[in-house]
Amino acid sequence: MSAAGGGGGRNHNFKVVLLGEGCVGKTSLVLRYVENKFNDKHLTTLQASFLDKKLNIGGKRVHLAIWDTAGQERFHALGPIYYRDSNGAILVYDITDEDSFQKVKNWVKELRKMLGQDICLCIAGNKTDLEKDRHVPVADAEEYAASVGAKHFHTSAKLNRGIEEMFLDVSKRMLDKAGDENPRNSVGGGGRQSTSRKNVVIVDDDAQQHQSSGGGCCSSG
Amino acid sequence: MSQGHKRFHINEQELLCKNGCGFYGNPAWQGFCSKCWREEYQKAKNAQLQIDEQNKMMKQKTPVGAEGKAPSFSKFEEKKKRESDKRTHTVKSLFRKSSSKDIAAEQVAKREAMKRLSSESQQVGEGFADFLRNLSKPAALDVSKHIRALIEKIQQNPDVTVDEHSEIIQDFYQSMGDRLQTHPVYKGLTHTTSDKLMDYMEKYIMTRLYRAVFCSMWSDDEEQDLIIQKRIRSLHWVSEQNLEASISVNEPSVRALVDSAITDIIEMDSKRAPQDKLASVVRCSNHIFEALKASQNNEPASADDFLPALIYIVLQANPPRLQSNIKYITRFSNPSRLMSGEAGYYFTNLCCVVAFIENLNAESLNMTPEEFEGYMSGKLVPRDSKEGHICEGLRLMYQNLANLSELRQRHEKVMAEAMQLQQEIVEFKENFKKEIQSVLTKNPWTIKPRKTKVDLDAESPATDMLPPPLIPQIVGEPMVVQHDQSNANSTDMTTEPHVTVTDTAVEE
Repeated sequence: MSAAGGGGGRNHNFKVVLLGEGCVGKTSLVLRYVENKFNDKHLTTLQASFLDKKLNIGGKRVHLAIWDTAGQERFHALGPIYYRDSNGAILVYDITDEDSFQKVKNWVKELRKMLGQDICLCIAGNKTDLEKDRHVPVADAEEYAASVGAKHFHTSAKLNRGIEEMFLDVSKRMLDKAGDENPRNSVGGGGRQSTSRKNVVIVDDDAQQHQSSGGGCCSSG
Repeated sequence: MSQGHKRFHINEQELLCKNGCGFYGNPAWQGFCSKCWREEYQKAKNAQLQIDEQNKMMKQKTPVGAEGKAPSFSKFEEKKKRESDKRTHTVKSLFRKSSSKDIAAEQVAKREAMKRLSSESQQVGEGFADFLRNLSKPAALDVSKHIRALIEKIQQNPDVTVDEHSEIIQDFYQSMGDRLQTHPVYKGLTHTTSDKLMDYMEKYIMTRLYRAVFCSMWSDDEEQDLIIQKRIRSLHWVSEQNLEASISVNEPSVRALVDSAITDIIEMDSKRAPQDKLASVVRCSNHIFEALKASQNNEPASADDFLPALIYIVLQANPPRLQSNIKYITRFSNPSRLMSGEAGYYFTNLCCVVAFIENLNAESLNMTPEEFEGYMSGKLVPRDSKEGHICEGLRLMYQNLANLSELRQRHEKVMAEAMQLQQEIVEFKENFKKEIQSVLTKNPWTIKPRKTKVDLDAESPATDMLPPPLIPQIVGEPMVVQHDQSNANSTDMTTEPHVTVTDTAVEE
């Protein structure tokens, strides 16, 4: 948190959650992005649920932590635990599966309700290599994305299409948002900030008090 | 053998009632028969009652009555009451700013007790001190000054709620984080060093304060622990198939990984610092990933696989004080650790698991409510109990049987190969013989007696018959000899012409 707000020379740490029904290809998408491999037997990673990616955008170092989430319906209620405090969300649907797009709509509603405009949304229509079986019309999807303030991308993990662009775009938008919020944060908007400030003073007081009594101990030690 | 037998022999006399009434006695009745035992027992009981009566009389004289029933519990209640009394007292005294003397004394005693550090604190403290030695002196002094102030602050106010403690410590992390970046004392620290410094501070502070803030009196963590523990126990029948976790638990190699994952998650409770607890969670998760990888053709597992597997592991492990540990980590860990990074992700998954277990119902296991109720009430036994849920002993037995059958196969293979080898040896021998025979028939060899060496120098009886060796004699003029010697110089055969000369001389 401190690192994300640190700005300047510090890394920007962003948390991005991947949401979407099971079997829409979330895992393939992220593996393609991080390892540039698809259905490969030679993957170096043991797991594909938490992945790191370091980027450099316009001289700013960005560290993406990509959190995969369990897509099964029965874990739906756990969503808020996953996307709490995340900076971005990538909502994946399968262009051949109308239901998965419906799911994305539900997620969007939920995210906007819980996190408001703080989160950058990206909607990914995955499996464009199966264009002939498309069940979600392009126009519908793009129109919907625009209406909720999300960017829509056509991706294919198999053909490595649109993935790099999508992550880059979401990173840029998160950077902009962090840049916007930084000055506001440092002024100290939240109640938490003010309490901490009050406590800082107390810590200093105690420390000074302590210095007189503990100084001897320090020098002897 | 026979002696041992004799020793156990009991004659009839010993079997009879001790009272000598003629009936058989029983060791359970101390050797009496049932009738005599009842009498005896009644006597003892009456005597006991009398003694009790006397005791009661004695106690009535003294005002302190022992309400016998549950002394430990009442004591606990008393303690709790005393603590809360003291709390209100100290809060008041804080406002009044006049602390009575005995409270101060109590606090001193408490601080003394705290000063006797546990071995964990000492270890962490040593590591921290080593690290600080590498920093510049003013920076190290500043750090230790702040930490001491914080620990003192918390230890002096043990009676505030755990949320206030959490607030204090979180504020400390934040202010120290800012201080490391802005204060001139810390100029020149690299990012990695300051991150390390933050880690060390967190570790040291939390190890020191662990007892004061973990599972605190002023929270309901303990009850929550018991609730989740009971809940997990009641869900013991949930199998990996119910959860659709793709772990083949009965595979020995996978089972070993699952066991280590279970050990890791249980181990979390024994660690003190938040990062150590998180490290246990990470280790557990990595073992789960290995197990998943071993169960499904080496594909990296996604969250879809991981979460059910983690639920299964938690249900199997029933980790002690799960809620307390989770709350402790959320309250006292450096927030940046939980926000990003692997540990944060796995910890979030663990929180999800707890939420899932709490709200688990028939629907989340894809079964009918009747079925679910049946399992919960114990009326139904998991249908895959034979292959799915086997107890440790059976599992070991199956594993051993598998090992034995493998051993047998290997043994049979070795035996077969040995037999083949033997046969080959016999064949080789036969062939060898045959070949020799055939060669012998082709070229018949007569074996001549071996030639004996003749030793010419050996003493043999024949030598006696030989004439005695000749003795050289010098005959004739020296001139001849000289001439001969000059001759000898030119050739190697010096002695022979000489000998011949002498020989001729002898013959002459």
